[in-house]
Amino acid sequence: MSLQDWFIALSRSPLGHAMQTSRWGFAIVEMVHLLGLALLGGSVLIVDLRLLGVILKGEPAIMIGRGVNRLLLGSLTVMVLSGIALLSEEAGKCYYSPAFRCKMALLAAAVVFYFTLHRQALLRVQSGKPTLWPRFAAVISLLLWLGVGVAGRAIGLL
Amino acid sequence: MLFLQHFCEMLYQSSFGTMLRESNNAFSVIESIHVLSITLLVGTIAILDLRMIGLILRSVSVRRVARSVLPLSWSGFAVSVASGFLLFWAEAAKMYVNPSFRTKLVLLVLAGFNALIFHTAVYSHAQEWEQQHISPWQARVTAIASLTLWGGVIVAGRAIAYF
Repeated sequence: MSLQDWFIALSRSPLGHAMQTSRWGFAIVEMVHLLGLALLGGSVLIVDLRLLGVILKGEPAIMIGRGVNRLLLGSLTVMVLSGIALLSEEAGKCYYSPAFRCKMALLAAAVVFYFTLHRQALLRVQSGKPTLWPRFAAVISLLLWLGVGVAGRAIGLL
Repeated sequence: MLFLQHFCEMLYQSSFGTMLRESNNAFSVIESIHVLSITLLVGTIAILDLRMIGLILRSVSVRRVARSVLPLSWSGFAVSVASGFLLFWAEAAKMYVNPSFRTKLVLLVLAGFNALIFHTAVYSHAQEWEQQHISPWQARVTAIASLTLWGGVIVAGRAIAYF
């Protein structure tokens, strides 16, 4: 099965059918997606501003990272699941959407970065002002997550 | 109420309102800024609320979390009010009768009252309990109210487009 076949299968699945025919289904899932966005945005911002040395400078960065890790991954899960439901409504169209492709590439990059280099940067910053690399990692992380959001907004516009 | 309705119609028919409404990109760009600033506002408030409930950042004192987070919340609030007013200007006559828009405004006022109660009656004694992993019930009640009301603002805001 090619990737496109998977997208078509999703839009023809019971989930896709429900999203296409229900009167309020799409709107409600969209609201859940936005609520997840607020929580994900808040947790990403707190970790990255700590990594930048803007807030909570007294605490080791990894402590802040661990402190919001569950919230970050939990809200990301909510966003991915509600995102799949939104996608199922018009998966065939999204497959060709440059904004959607861009969003998925940025999302993959943001998640991989979070679990690898970003994590290493968190471990390096004990207290006080961070060195250059952790701050650079924070900027990359913020730009990647912001990019996911902006590309996501563009799906409906382009 | 008639005065309010006239005011909304005046905004709607003004040249600036018409320009925003009929623009190809301006409205979408302002809308995107509105969503981003609400994410900043609600996301950072949620960090403080969840800390008081004891779900995240238990080892950091409540006042340190509040001092880090609240300036961000206020910046998000300022930008979302400004961008929200521009969106309202473009659609004012429709917003006046939109039930979701009215609900959103009521929820905003309630969220404001809740914040006022929190700052005057709860947070002012925070130095006595800021280290506790789970804050006293008064703080938890305002935190749950805040999460519910701000969540409601997002839901009602999204619903505006469906009416």
